[in-house]
Amino acid sequence: MPIIELRGVTKRYGQLTAVDDLTLAIEEGEIFGFVGPNGAGKTTTLRMIATLLQPTKGEILVAGSSARTHPGLVRRAIGYMPDFPGVYDDTKVWEFLDFFAACHEIPEPHRTQLIDDLLELVELSHRREDMVETLSRGMKQRLSLARALVHDPQILVLDEPAAGLDPRARVEMRELLMELRRLGKTVFFSTHVLSDVAQIATRVGIIEAGRLVAVGTIQELSTTLAPQRVVRLGLLDGIEQAMGLLRAMQGVHKVDSSLDSTDGRGEITLEFTGDDNALSAMMASLVGQGIPIVHFSEVTRDLEQVFLRATKGIVS
Amino acid sequence: MTDAVPPTEVGPAKRRRPFPPKLRANPVLVKELRSRMRGGRAFLILTGYLTILAGFAGLVYILSVTALSSVSLGQADYSSVGIVIFGTVVLLELLMVCFISPALTAGSITTEREQRTFELVSTTLLTARALVMGKLGSALSYLFLLLFVAFPLQALAYVFGGVAAAEVLISAVLLVVTALATSALGLFFSSSQKRTLTSTVLSYAVLLLGMFALPIILAILLQFVPLLWFLGPTAGAPEPWKEAALIYIGVLAIATNPLATAFATETLLFDEQKVFFYTQSLGNGVDLPVPLPWIPYTIFYLVLTLILIRLSIRWVRRAEP
Repeated sequence: MPIIELRGVTKRYGQLTAVDDLTLAIEEGEIFGFVGPNGAGKTTTLRMIATLLQPTKGEILVAGSSARTHPGLVRRAIGYMPDFPGVYDDTKVWEFLDFFAACHEIPEPHRTQLIDDLLELVELSHRREDMVETLSRGMKQRLSLARALVHDPQILVLDEPAAGLDPRARVEMRELLMELRRLGKTVFFSTHVLSDVAQIATRVGIIEAGRLVAVGTIQELSTTLAPQRVVRLGLLDGIEQAMGLLRAMQGVHKVDSSLDSTDGRGEITLEFTGDDNALSAMMASLVGQGIPIVHFSEVTRDLEQVFLRATKGIVS
Repeated sequence: MTDAVPPTEVGPAKRRRPFPPKLRANPVLVKELRSRMRGGRAFLILTGYLTILAGFAGLVYILSVTALSSVSLGQADYSSVGIVIFGTVVLLELLMVCFISPALTAGSITTEREQRTFELVSTTLLTARALVMGKLGSALSYLFLLLFVAFPLQALAYVFGGVAAAEVLISAVLLVVTALATSALGLFFSSSQKRTLTSTVLSYAVLLLGMFALPIILAILLQFVPLLWFLGPTAGAPEPWKEAALIYIGVLAIATNPLATAFATETLLFDEQKVFFYTQSLGNGVDLPVPLPWIPYTIFYLVLTLILIRLSIRWVRRAEP
């Protein structure tokens, strides 16, 4: 059973449809990256899951409870972190966590150890007695994550967790999310930074103009959205002959070549539609025709290309 | 907010709540008090507040003693000095409560929205009621501290005598009720508005309207209404019920304003020597029991406070962050 399930969820603000008939299921233990351009409906979706907004239509189930009818149970199951780390500047770091622990009805005697553990997890133990206002943006973000974990939720719903962070802080945040997955948490995070998704997400959902346009692993999305494989061949010579042969082959599109003027070697780049067997057969055919191949490689499709293929650049 | 959580849910709604509710268990109250009392700001305000009060009390003392120095001094003269000092301190406290309490509460909920912490609190199990009561409790704790620290200044009047226990108790009731009502007013605007600036401006506008404009309007109306009423078809001796109605309307009009209530109550306490009701003879010789203004004032503002708190909770509950 999915730990988060959205069934035909729609959110309208007057005439504007922010989220349109969104159906999505997240399994336990996943790190699910929710990707889309600004204004695509990511934050609205996350806020609906976090019970901050009511869907206009549809149903959201979190850990088996409906966000509409049982928001209290959903709040117990979820740790939510918004895109902006809202903090009380006039509190100490430990007081900030203590307040939210109290809001989650965690008994006072348990809180001290809990706060120490959380601060250790987010590497802020040394700032325990400092005022929140003295923390850097990255530290506030980590403190915000510790706050989201204060009631030991099964699920973390994080809106742009790495937004505004410097490269080092981004890496630290990514490592933290991986660690949380190892601790058994399900992580549902939104971002528009594709490298974050590519590195840590087990599955990705792409949303545009409020509609989910693609969902799956990065490999699945690559295959579905960008089926053409890009192949590079390095040749000793015989470029023209090779290009002629390739153009005649089934599944080969868009053949380009370049010639190295110093030693006469050349390189061919082609787009190929087909599985590994077909690709192997293509190679065998070239070799069989006496083409002197010295190098062969397939260019990996990155998420950026997949994203560009999936979206049209429109926002809701 | 979780107030809407249905009873089928396992959660705080099903637990037996302690009665009376434990204020110390309210996380908002604890957090607010920690923040409010940290650093020098709270103590600077306390010092400034006490300096102003002490300055005025000292000035009143000097002026009173100077005025009395030309006449032979007896016990009665000293007691009048005590009454004047007491009255001055209470009136200043009343004014300060009126003007400080909206400042303490008008930003309480709007600041949460502006800091983007409202949505964080909304995803916890904290109820809208607990949030509102925590904010109110924090503001009232500080206000009561201001009133408490001014007690020695009030006690200065007791040295001179002339101040009855009833006066001390009634003044305390007036101050507490005023603190409750003005704090609830700020809280109401803070929960219904999005920005602290709007909330603060509205709180003070309504407060000033209630404290100064409304009494002036009522005073003008009360000047003309009796004339129009009495000079009607039954001109001459007013009918007793009209006379009684006008007396009660007058008391109620006074009871809308804290300063007018304090003045009128003090005058009636002094003249009539009654704490709750005094009697006024009508034209037909019947004695009409009339409450001292502090009673309708207390009832009116306590009811208003409850209404404002309920409305604030409703606003917070239905607000989407």
